[in-house]
Amino acid sequence: MSQSNRLAAGGLIDRASTIDFTFDGRRYAGHSGDTLASALLANGVKLVGRSFKYHRPRGVLTAGSEEPNALVELRTGARREPNAKATVAELYDGLEATSQNRWPSLAFDVMAVNQLAAPIFVAGFYYKTFMWPAKFWEKLYEPMIRRAAGLGRLSGEADPDSYEKITAHCDVLVIGSGPAGLAAALAAGRSGARVILAEEDFALGGRLNSDRRTIGDKASSAWAAEAAAELASLPEVTVLRRTPVVGVYDDGVYAALERVSDHLREPAAHQPRQRLWRIVAKRAVLAAGALERPIPFGGNDTPGVMLASAVRTYLNRFGVAPGKRAVVYANNDDAAATIADLAAAGCEIAAVIDARGDAPALHAAARAAGASLIFGGAIARAYGGRSLKGCEIVDGRGRGFKVECDLIAVSAGWNPSIQLTTHLSARPVWDDRLAAFLPGARPVGMEVAGAAGGAYGLGEALAAGAKAGAEAAEACGFAAGAVDVPATDPEPGDTHGRGPWRSPVKRGKAFVDFQNDVTVSDVELAAREGFKSVEHLKRYTTLGMATDQGRTSNVLGLALMAEITGRSIPETGITAARAPFTPVAIGALGGAHRHKEFRPTRLPPSHFWAEEQGAAFTETGQWMRAAYFPRPGEKDWFETAVREVNTVRTAVGVYDASTLGKIDIQGADAGVFLDRVYINAFSSLAVGKARYGLMLREDGVAMDDGTTTRLGETHYYMTTTTANAGGVMRHLELCKQWLWPELDVHFSSVTDQWAQYAIAGPRSRDVVAALVDEGFDVSNEALPYMGARELTVCGGVKARLFRLSFSGELAYELAVPARYGDAMIRAIIKAGEPFGICPYGAEALAIMRIEKGHAAGPELNGNTTAADLGMGKMLSKKKDFIGRTLSGREAFLDPERPSLVGFRPVDRSARLRSGAHFVPRGETPSAANDQGYMTSTAYSPSNGHWIGLGFLARGPERMGEIVRAYDPVRGGDIEVEVVSPVFVDPEGARLRA
Amino acid sequence: MPEPLVARSPLRAHVAPPASPAGEPGVVLREVPDLTLASVAALKGREAELTQAVSSAYGVDLPDGPKRVSSGAVSFVGVGPGKWLAASTVGTDFSGLPAAVADQSDGRAVFRLSGPKARETLATLVQIDLHPRAFQRGDAAVTHAASIAITLWQVGDEPTYEIVMFRTYAATLWRWLVEAGRSRGIDARLGG
Repeated sequence: MSQSNRLAAGGLIDRASTIDFTFDGRRYAGHSGDTLASALLANGVKLVGRSFKYHRPRGVLTAGSEEPNALVELRTGARREPNAKATVAELYDGLEATSQNRWPSLAFDVMAVNQLAAPIFVAGFYYKTFMWPAKFWEKLYEPMIRRAAGLGRLSGEADPDSYEKITAHCDVLVIGSGPAGLAAALAAGRSGARVILAEEDFALGGRLNSDRRTIGDKASSAWAAEAAAELASLPEVTVLRRTPVVGVYDDGVYAALERVSDHLREPAAHQPRQRLWRIVAKRAVLAAGALERPIPFGGNDTPGVMLASAVRTYLNRFGVAPGKRAVVYANNDDAAATIADLAAAGCEIAAVIDARGDAPALHAAARAAGASLIFGGAIARAYGGRSLKGCEIVDGRGRGFKVECDLIAVSAGWNPSIQLTTHLSARPVWDDRLAAFLPGARPVGMEVAGAAGGAYGLGEALAAGAKAGAEAAEACGFAAGAVDVPATDPEPGDTHGRGPWRSPVKRGKAFVDFQNDVTVSDVELAAREGFKSVEHLKRYTTLGMATDQGRTSNVLGLALMAEITGRSIPETGITAARAPFTPVAIGALGGAHRHKEFRPTRLPPSHFWAEEQGAAFTETGQWMRAAYFPRPGEKDWFETAVREVNTVRTAVGVYDASTLGKIDIQGADAGVFLDRVYINAFSSLAVGKARYGLMLREDGVAMDDGTTTRLGETHYYMTTTTANAGGVMRHLELCKQWLWPELDVHFSSVTDQWAQYAIAGPRSRDVVAALVDEGFDVSNEALPYMGARELTVCGGVKARLFRLSFSGELAYELAVPARYGDAMIRAIIKAGEPFGICPYGAEALAIMRIEKGHAAGPELNGNTTAADLGMGKMLSKKKDFIGRTLSGREAFLDPERPSLVGFRPVDRSARLRSGAHFVPRGETPSAANDQGYMTSTAYSPSNGHWIGLGFLARGPERMGEIVRAYDPVRGGDIEVEVVSPVFVDPEGARLRA
Repeated sequence: MPEPLVARSPLRAHVAPPASPAGEPGVVLREVPDLTLASVAALKGREAELTQAVSSAYGVDLPDGPKRVSSGAVSFVGVGPGKWLAASTVGTDFSGLPAAVADQSDGRAVFRLSGPKARETLATLVQIDLHPRAFQRGDAAVTHAASIAITLWQVGDEPTYEIVMFRTYAATLWRWLVEAGRSRGIDARLGG
């Protein structure tokens, strides 16, 4: 199909390259340098989408990221992307775009009958219409509304592309590359400062490319191209195109989203689809420009109604005539440029309507273009349905007439793009002269230049940009010197647009927020119903809540509310924006860190060996731990874990305990320090001995436990639980650096230094004896329970051997430097073969610790005290320690407080469940009768039935009593007997064997 | 008598895949094996004694701040007030220093990252400024690579960085560097 609306010459497109694309399955051609919107307009396609609520035909309103109407689905299959703005999407060969929110076709949309029901779809219709019956909301109304409304569809498939996050530091960040941005970047860049220029468009220049202006002796677009070339030549200047800055954060941190591959059919090999920049800038210059405001009138959403600035962009930058016969409707002098550009492109100008009275600038322009000029007039209504056919005009004396046209260019002044100045919650200020919000307090380090700061004139913008860029560079210690500001052609006059804010004639729907289908009547309704605050207006009508963040509607809605309620705009409210400035895909926020890579995976030293054994793994925080080691013929984890437990209890097993936190503690005051962080004493511990320790939080609640060994007079080795290793290290550093800086004590995390294997079971000594080098005695006499010593194994590898037991059996923990961890586990298995060794995993370990009544995560749950855990007697009375004072709180001393005991089912075949609550026999389950809860349960191979640990009021006094374990979540309600929490070897004979 | 134990790297190809570029490498990643590492903390009141001991034993002036000072095979990297990471390529035993010394030769893994795209590759993971105006040969930093705690320093101007991490994170950091390096022509090989 021919590009019927492409001008014969002009524009910044590459006419030599033809690009084929499809829209709703039809093939079209465009050029390199086109957006989808400009290419569609070039092909005479005006109807691009259907609106959100009323399914009204919509076309292209703007030429930028503020576009509320021309939203399409881009691409197909897994890469299908909903709500892409046709005005931003760059044309590429083979681009496939589909219109949204219509059925069966864009031209004939069944849901357009919604317009007939429009009276019920007014603001607040959810709240008014679907109130009763209440349960219909979830089941009927909401699904129905969601089907009818909404915009594009997600692909529903996994995103095949990759994303990247990157950090960049600079002296000066320049946001926007219009005249002010380019001037700022040049001034700062020439000084040698590190500069990043971020531009959301794919071309640098902003309105320099959209308007026919002159800088020095050059066309403004040529000046922009030269500036871009100079910036590219400066080694410390980075130019990011297709990169909107989307957020401002504390300390000069900015987020920007680079659309690396969005302009390609698919990303090049290894290239991300998008890259999220975290830019740390000492100074920033916001040169984001300004966006033109529309004037609401009846049918102002008819395809063919366009912002005047966008009309000029399509004419001048893309060489496209968006219409053949135009009406210009304006309240400011900017219309003069629109009239001149339309005339220059050969478009007929049917009428120029100046909403004000007489304006000399428009006189001359209209006369030159041969257009009739209507002062003080208005458009009452545009008509044409799917494509604009004409409009009804009312002149200054109230006379109405119709004019045929296929384009209406609307201009009501400008809104500076100040969104980024408000991200840190600074409020903008209203300027009556400009009739616009200007930046209030700026984020620290940010200056605003050009139209974003209300300097609309080209010369003003260049000067303001150069000044801001130079000052920013100077502030970073660079000599920017005086900056030459080139001369420009005369400015267009008064472009401020101080109202009227809407057509005074009401005929048909006049839209304020196109994307969310909010009309002038909705604003009036909100005012009538008392939603006069701008925040209420927004929420009641949804004005400004769409993906365009109300770029073209917020100020307008506010101005209308002010007018309706007879208040000034500042009295009515202000609009402030939050990040992100434009929508950001979740994928970009995750970057490369998704799926399994969303966090690091820590592999313990036996991991590769365990993989070879076919182990099943479980994740514990970042750690990958072997859960169990299945053998052929075993049908599930349970059978395997039971076999592993039985092997440990009768022969010997080995477990990789390397994931426990390990902290090397040295210094003259190490013992004193440990006395203060543990509830029990460690300064009295003999060298070569280990001791179990419990530490409390300051509030008296148990924090973590583990064993600490004294390796030397001033040298200790602490172990922590796997889950709390980092937290304990932080706690120790806090205590040392903040609480007791006078102590001589030093910590070094050695978690990763040592591969530490638990060798447990009645034959464990045989295995250990086979591994240690000659001359080291591991007999019970030489290395009794809780003993520790440094020795060598397997021919000279330095090792530490601890006589510790978590399983309750005779057991050792053997630590070797981690590089030998892989070889060590293989050597242990080999040495253990004659004794029937098997590896055991986290499942078997969990069973054995419950059998021994050892507290773990479910018991150290942030609610329990030392006394609750049955360790009240360990609380030293001879020394002070963290948590001591608050351990004595009244509530903690309450004898009714649940404390740790064991449980077994009265019916021995019954299964116990963690989370069950204890209720006295014969009592009704209720909060009043709640006496505690079950924390850990397991099937005990050693006992042949289920066992449990839990906290029960006065538990230790109630041995032998039967209570109810009530578990309404899983429907459990069984009787259990209160027993000792130690189910295996209560005397501890085995571990001392 | 059991067989002697063999030392192994924390990396294996299935968790730390190698990569080779189509053309000239933009960035080169290697593991630096067999470094002797030790965390060294000055004991209270014995700071000067430690400074003297390091100076006379290794000819190194202990850096005050995030710097790396080396002499021959031995280097000291400032990692905190009164704290250093000592490194040696010749198996130096640091345990005799008058300080709290903990062997970290197995607690840490070390990567070397070099090439014209090394800085850009690191910028996808590390948030500090590594521009030559801010970070040069001899500079060190204790920071994060995404969520992995690292210590890094610059050893050459092309540039070359050495990155120290806890050993059990090595495979993950390798994968993240290779992922970031794929679009930048990474050459990553295991085993030197």
